[in-house]
Amino acid sequence: MKRTIEVAAVGSVLIACVAGLAVPPDSVQGDLQRIMYVHVPSAWLAYLAFGITLIGSVGYLVTDKLRWDRLAGSSAEVGVVFTGLALATGSIWGKPVWGVWWTWDARLVLTAAMFFVYLAYLALRRSVDGAERRAQRSAIFGIVAALQIPVVHFSVIWWRGLHQPPTILRPDNPQIDPPLLFALLLAVFAFTLVYVALLNRRIDLAVAEDLLTDAPRADEHVAGAAVTAPQLGDWR
Amino acid sequence: MTDWGWVAFAYTLVYGTLIGYVTSLVMRTRRANGEATRR
Repeated sequence: MKRTIEVAAVGSVLIACVAGLAVPPDSVQGDLQRIMYVHVPSAWLAYLAFGITLIGSVGYLVTDKLRWDRLAGSSAEVGVVFTGLALATGSIWGKPVWGVWWTWDARLVLTAAMFFVYLAYLALRRSVDGAERRAQRSAIFGIVAALQIPVVHFSVIWWRGLHQPPTILRPDNPQIDPPLLFALLLAVFAFTLVYVALLNRRIDLAVAEDLLTDAPRADEHVAGAAVTAPQLGDWR
Repeated sequence: MTDWGWVAFAYTLVYGTLIGYVTSLVMRTRRANGEATRR
């Protein structure tokens, strides 16, 4: 199943990439609008990944099972990658269109804040010893951090800024021509498959890391050896 | 830079990052599995 998802992810990304480069250019922005076919899916996956981190965090606190913690931590790492890509591609688009790499717009600032908050979440996971303690503290952090997700999404509605308001997720009909909408939805679908494939890989790594932490080193004495009868050789 | 230059810059950054991240996940998993087997 994992292999099937990976093959589907690679295939759909290739198709989405070609579609993004082949559809007609935007009437106002021209070819620069094609950057949206990688920027919007990255931003969507940031929301999705951190939403999954929230689910994993709640799941751990409810069940005490470490697999929920692995899901939360793995999704957060993948989410940080996509948030970084959303910020970077937005900046690359902003330079030719807005004339600046960065501006202190509410959406940009809050997205950058979300990026750093989840970097802190990943740092917390590395700084706590013991799987249970790490999982419990990370779960609380993961739940509190998720409060900012709707704030980031609705920031373009709540505060007037340079960033455009929602194009697809809006109360009235999407304000985009069908060919462009098709390419965008295809890219969102393809990137979502990539996220699932990456998440599976990252969870495999988390399992391997947990096994590594639990396994005693070959050159380590087993617990209690120091208080059992000393070997004669130790006294020579 | 031309419009297509900016587009190429963005696409290269995104797909290059994803390929690099996948590679790092595969290598980290192999290393962790290998180390766990040796112990």
